[in-house]
Amino acid sequence: MNLEDELRAALRREDPSMGFAKRVVARAQSSRAPRPAMPRFIWAIAMAAMLVIGLAGTYEVRQMKAERAGREAVMALRIAADKLNSVREKVVRREN
Amino acid sequence: MRRILLIAFIAACAAARLPAQQLQLRITGLDGLASKASESADITLDSNLLQMAAGFLAGADKESKDGETLKQLLAGLKAITVRSFKFKETGQYRREDLEPIRAQLRSPGWSKIISSQSKEESSEIYTRMEQGKVAGFAIIAAEPKELTIVAIEGSINLNDLSKLKALGVPSIPVPDKKGKQE
Repeated sequence: MNLEDELRAALRREDPSMGFAKRVVARAQSSRAPRPAMPRFIWAIAMAAMLVIGLAGTYEVRQMKAERAGREAVMALRIAADKLNSVREKVVRREN
Repeated sequence: MRRILLIAFIAACAAARLPAQQLQLRITGLDGLASKASESADITLDSNLLQMAAGFLAGADKESKDGETLKQLLAGLKAITVRSFKFKETGQYRREDLEPIRAQLRSPGWSKIISSQSKEESSEIYTRMEQGKVAGFAIIAAEPKELTIVAIEGSINLNDLSKLKALGVPSIPVPDKKGKQE
């Protein structure tokens, strides 16, 4: 047998065995990589971070509102006390 | 029948709310004065804001007695409204501008406890009593170049209020009356 015949014999067309396609599909499905758990974890972290940022922002806004309310309350009471004392003094002065 | 009962219920609810609304002093008719004033203060604090203010002041001044006194004073209050105007010249407001406020203070429940009238100025203090306690308090101080209206809703001890100045309040930085409050 010369080289040419050997090559022809080695490269001759051969039909696949029975159920070859099914086996290929089954192998492909079984070897599919499982979905990584990472993305779900990242979403949880992102949501937690957003929650923390939201809560911190709300707390900050509330603190600012409280501070402003505190300053205004002091100012209002100071004006009220000032006017109350002033009116009382005027009445006392007038009676004397 | 059900509709009649519903209407009667709504009417009863409205009637129950009416006295409280009538007693709450509304400072109206002074909006135009802010633009004429060289200095003005416009403060309106409802019960929620007063609670926040009390918490903030108590926290800001834990060490001193003033913070506690303020907290106690604010604890009984439901609302504070202050309108104060300082003018560079006289005649920037009319006595009639105060009439809508005085009209409310003539309604049952309010009584004038102090009044000082002169040609140029007038000062009045009104209180509203509930079960023997002060439940509302109003001051109208009208001077030639200054007009101040204070309305306080809630239980307040006037002696404690008058002592505030002596206590050296505030111990936290407070903006001057300069400039207009938002």
